[in-house]
Amino acid sequence: MNGHVPFGVADYFWDEASSRQSLLDQLMETFRGWGYGDVIPPMFEFDSTLSAQYDDRLRSGMYRFLDRDGSTLSLRPEFTTSVARLVGARLHDWPMPQRFCYGGSVFRYLEPQAGRQREFWQVGGELIGAPSPTADAEILALTATALKAAGLKGFRQIVGHIRYYRSLLEALALNPQQAQQLQWALERKSEPLLDDFLRDTPLRTGQRQAVETLPQLVGGNVDGILSLAERHIQNRGMHEALQNLRRIVDALLGYDILDSLIIDLTEIRNLGYYTGVSFEAITPGLGTAVASGGRYDDLVGRFGPSQPAVGAALGVDRLLVARQRQDEADAASGRRRPQAALALPHGSPDALAQVQKLRRAGLHIQVDVNNWTVDSAIVYAAETDVRDVLVWEDGFQHHRRDDQGDYVLLGQLEEGRLSGWTAACREELPT
Amino acid sequence: MTSKVAAPYRGPAETIEQSQPNMVSGRTEQSLLFALPKGRLAQDSLSFLAKAGLSIPTDTESRRLILPAADGSTGFVMAKPRDVPTYVEHGAADLGICGLDVVRETDRAVYEPLLLPFGHCRLSVAGPADDAAGPPEKRSGSDDLAVKPVSSSNLPGTPLRYMSQPRIATEYPRLTRQFFADRGVNAEIITLGGSVELGPILGLADLIVDVVQTGTTLRMNGLVEIRTILKSQAVLVVNRASYQLKAAEINRIIERMRLLTT
Repeated sequence: MNGHVPFGVADYFWDEASSRQSLLDQLMETFRGWGYGDVIPPMFEFDSTLSAQYDDRLRSGMYRFLDRDGSTLSLRPEFTTSVARLVGARLHDWPMPQRFCYGGSVFRYLEPQAGRQREFWQVGGELIGAPSPTADAEILALTATALKAAGLKGFRQIVGHIRYYRSLLEALALNPQQAQQLQWALERKSEPLLDDFLRDTPLRTGQRQAVETLPQLVGGNVDGILSLAERHIQNRGMHEALQNLRRIVDALLGYDILDSLIIDLTEIRNLGYYTGVSFEAITPGLGTAVASGGRYDDLVGRFGPSQPAVGAALGVDRLLVARQRQDEADAASGRRRPQAALALPHGSPDALAQVQKLRRAGLHIQVDVNNWTVDSAIVYAAETDVRDVLVWEDGFQHHRRDDQGDYVLLGQLEEGRLSGWTAACREELPT
Repeated sequence: MTSKVAAPYRGPAETIEQSQPNMVSGRTEQSLLFALPKGRLAQDSLSFLAKAGLSIPTDTESRRLILPAADGSTGFVMAKPRDVPTYVEHGAADLGICGLDVVRETDRAVYEPLLLPFGHCRLSVAGPADDAAGPPEKRSGSDDLAVKPVSSSNLPGTPLRYMSQPRIATEYPRLTRQFFADRGVNAEIITLGGSVELGPILGLADLIVDVVQTGTTLRMNGLVEIRTILKSQAVLVVNRASYQLKAAEINRIIERMRLLTT
């Protein structure tokens, strides 16, 4: 028996565990504040339920195993499909729209990297039963609000529209090889590959110009980019996609997040089920997205009556990395969560009754169960970062660590003295 | 009544933790960090950047890991060529220069806006030139060809798909596997860290897949090129987030480079 864990999973403990948990709670609370109700889907589902909805990249990264009856199961690689299944199969006759939020582990068989193990945490929300641009705007604004609540500064949301690209492909009537060539060029933002495509593919002048313009449809000048794109519309689908994007941007006006918006009509990497607007949130110091989402009007309908839907998910692990790097840059790190006070009851029932009273008042208290002397208790307290030690002598005597790290007896415990500490502890909790 | 108990000794861990913020501060001074490949492409990359009018480090022989540009605007890391796409994908560097062969082999999620006009080479399949047997047409009827394993038939015109599980020494396992898999051949890949030409000489492998510039190394080791897998040259790679977050600075660099590439 050794103490190894499988590659791609990790133990989190002490400050890391508590800051993870409190970030998850805080993000969930943000979603709840916008009327999103909790949903807890199962950790694994039938493989057929999940696999069919994804593109090859995500499908090849799923953990699969056999149930005892021989059916194939998979660990969830994301939440959206499970929520869509729940609404499509069971809640389809409940009044729409329905808002759900969730948080927990998802699993992908990938090379672990900064802020992403093979098991990682997502928090997200789904807004089901609303086709309008205001619903898309709500999800964009909610994502931005959650990122701000998580303490992230300077993030950007990159917004694309998969319908624009799909309609362009339709208009160009490319064979699969040519479509692949164009997709490669766009995914890599490679001018030489795009030139190769234009050289190898016979196109009419208008179509050629539409493709040539694609690399310019990226940037923060939302209005300018949409106007430029509108000049190269090839069919109704492209027109409707741009009109839809305009309405979403208009619907964002009240939310004060337009500054963080970047339009990228060439961003076409996604999970495979998006049908409309799609977006990713990026932040300085982290090369990968901290959140992503989009509209998926066809997904719920695969499990029941069709419903339009839009949602977003945030990567808790990546947010923690991004926030840590940001705080390092701000040189404002190092705040440690205070540990619970240590009480030595010395076998007195009265002492335990007193501890219970303090706990009900909201204080965090751990009780000595080793029958320690005051000295050993203080050694333990110093090593584990406990600031307050309470020793029972017909009432608690309060020892507190001073700035030099020495424990000083303050005298009889006054609850008021502990309350400052409690307040510090509560600061860490979601508000 | 007061009593004092001294805090026990905490060990050196704290001091290590405290020194961390200083370590990253070197990173935040510059607005952009450029990863350049050590070795073959290093000098070409630097002179290309200089030609494009970008400020480059004055002292490239320094042992510092992050070299500031002469005007301090940009930082440079000299990385192993294979690591450049990794640095850029993870956002440890905003931009990088490396060979297209390395970008395709490592298959990292990075943007690659421009091909740069240096570092031209090709990734090729090569096998032993059969000098002893003389020119191919002389041998074609001979008996020993019939008993030779098909995997050693390396005439330039012989389809690779005739081969039965060739053993291939390479530094490019991903591209090699893909190239042979596309032809229905399940090749046995022997991944080496360098000097793959030794493979056929020592009987470790039937063929090699390696970068060829002039072909001199191949000839000196009695090898001939059989197929070209990929035509390679230097490429500019950009982190996907930096591309948007630092769009102005990065576009300025791309513009300047583009002037030299067209």
